[in-house]
Amino acid sequence: MSDNTNKSYVLKPGTLLDIQNLSMRFGGLTAVNNLSFDIKENEIFGLIGPNGAGKTTVFNCITQFYKDKDGIIIFNNKKNEIINLNDIHVEKIIKEGLVRTFQNVELIKDLSVIDNLLIGAHTLFKSDFIGHIFRSKRASEEETFYKAKALEILKFMKIDYLKDQYVAGQPYGILKKIGIARTLMSNPKLIILDEPAAGLNETETTELSKLMIQIKENYKCSILLVEHDMGFVMGVCDRICAINFGKFLALGTPDYIKRHPDVQEAYLGRDDE
Amino acid sequence: MKKVLSYFNKITIYIKDSFRRMVSAVKTDAMYRRFVYLFVGLNVILLLSELDIMNYSTVSLYAYIIIFTIVALGLNILLGFSGLMSLGTAGFVGFGAYGVVYFETLGFPYEISSLITIVIATFIGLAVGLFSLKVEGVYLAISTLAVGEIFSQIFKRVTWFTNAYGGVHYKYPTLLGFIELDRNMTYIFLSFVMVVMMVVMYHLTKSKTGRALLAMSRSNSSAQAMGVSISKYRLFSFVVAILYATIGGILYASFYRYVQPLDWNLMLTLLILAMVVVGGMKSIFGTFLGVFIIYGIPKLYLEDLFSSVSGVAYLFSGILIIVVVMFYPYGMIHVTHDIKKLYNKYKIHKQNKLKAGDGDE
Ligand SMILES: Nc1ncnc2c1ncn2[C@@H]1O[C@H](COP(=O)(O)OP(=O)(O)OP(=O)(O)O)[C@@H](O)[C@H]1O
Ligand SMILES: [Mg+2]
Repeated sequence: MSDNTNKSYVLKPGTLLDIQNLSMRFGGLTAVNNLSFDIKENEIFGLIGPNGAGKTTVFNCITQFYKDKDGIIIFNNKKNEIINLNDIHVEKIIKEGLVRTFQNVELIKDLSVIDNLLIGAHTLFKSDFIGHIFRSKRASEEETFYKAKALEILKFMKIDYLKDQYVAGQPYGILKKIGIARTLMSNPKLIILDEPAAGLNETETTELSKLMIQIKENYKCSILLVEHDMGFVMGVCDRICAINFGKFLALGTPDYIKRHPDVQEAYLGRDDE
Repeated sequence: MKKVLSYFNKITIYIKDSFRRMVSAVKTDAMYRRFVYLFVGLNVILLLSELDIMNYSTVSLYAYIIIFTIVALGLNILLGFSGLMSLGTAGFVGFGAYGVVYFETLGFPYEISSLITIVIATFIGLAVGLFSLKVEGVYLAISTLAVGEIFSQIFKRVTWFTNAYGGVHYKYPTLLGFIELDRNMTYIFLSFVMVVMMVVMYHLTKSKTGRALLAMSRSNSSAQAMGVSISKYRLFSFVVAILYATIGGILYASFYRYVQPLDWNLMLTLLILAMVVVGGMKSIFGTFLGVFIIYGIPKLYLEDLFSSVSGVAYLFSGILIIVVVMFYPYGMIHVTHDIKKLYNKYKIHKQNKLKAGDGDE
């Protein structure tokens, strides 16, 4: 505890994120209770649990929206340094190679699709506001460069025909896609998705499953996702961690989780309601 | 000293380079063309008044519109882009006006006096911005109101700075120490500065900076997750808004050559706010339109018509705000979009009719 500043952390080779003994309390309510799990490199990892289980809270802890929490969150960042995310300010998390979406898509409605993507590259821009005021050579080159990159991502997601349209008025499925496209702008090592399939119809969900795997392969990153659609989760995830009331239930392959008695109980209990 | 000179050199090269690229972009970017048209249009008014086709006083009215367009542009960055509120705008305009006069009486040339005023305003802006990190929403609006009130007390009481109720007199600016401007030249100078401030806003808002401001105003947490520093961009937008207001004030003193303490009150701030809302949030030309509607129309047309009824201008802007907020939340500038849309619809309709006619044959 004393040498907090120069503490060096370790990660097993091949591990990207290691959450150790994470707890988070809201007043008397323990939303996350001594939870531990790890995510490997190039893995799609699912975090499941009934409503109010604490999944979003876990996400907010990892991405440092909550400060007063217990436990450590070790991450192998973009520079291949092993760091504790708790030492990083919430606004700097994306620089380390970790980017997230929100449960309710948070896009800028009165900007075009491509401009929304450019916000995802905010930290990659090197020009400052003086450069912007004069629209310096460097600033405009940068703008062109990242626009091309955004277009490439939109093409990859097959929504490039929308690039100059406003986000406002787009159907929900498209908004979700734009949200995911935006995360890809920052060259992430880990993408955190909060309920990516919520509100999507069946075809859209199937498409999303394919997209998840394509992202993992093309962009060489890991994905951590929360989702209630069990078909989707079981189909797309390499490993799954189930929690209930903030507590760890089980961790393993989709088959293992499906058969696990504690998980079945947690979900059946909910079905009875 | 050498270092300063080399730095200065760099900046000039930077500006030249930037200007060259802008000129070459005039062909491809319609916005630049519109800036040129606006500049020309404003100066045609000057020409018309010289030819006695328009009233002599009309120029003075357009100078006011120019000045308050600059001020309202600053508020538009703060309100429209960053989603922040300030009710201290008039205070900063007043500060700019008094500041440039005061520093020139101390013996500084016009440019240096303006620069000192701007630098001081920047620091005040930083202070207000820092304070804004601690308060939200209505409380922020009330605190900025207090800042405006402090200014208005200073204008009335601090005699060495403002000569209290006597006001201060000034003269048309002398640029670079030897170019003495007259009324018409000052007007051209004003319209030039306004267009420059518009270009600055255009560049800023269509960049990483502008997107960050928008991201912040729509959702703090989403912006933070994208790496946008809330404190940095809040400070930035307050400083920019205050700079625009101060520059507006400096130009006010330069054109009207008299500054008096009672003009810089909450009423003026609210009128500037109305200009932004009525014209169009986030819109550069909308802001100009807003100033024209709120200030120009009452002065040009209504006050002659209703000279017996006092306060008709305020009534007009009050009603307009309600109408705009209810029916045109994006501002009057969007009327043109809607007209275009209607026209396109009409065209398509006509084409379809023609096609249907072809089918009949
Ligand atoms: N800011 C907060 N203040 C107080 N309590 C909170 C807060 N955020 C979450 N909670 C509580 O913590 C618990 C876990 O919430 P959380 O949002 O993490 O659940 P979840 O697993 O994401 O649920 P869902 O599947 O419905 O999204 C809930 O009981 C919730 O009411
Ligand atoms: Mg949730």
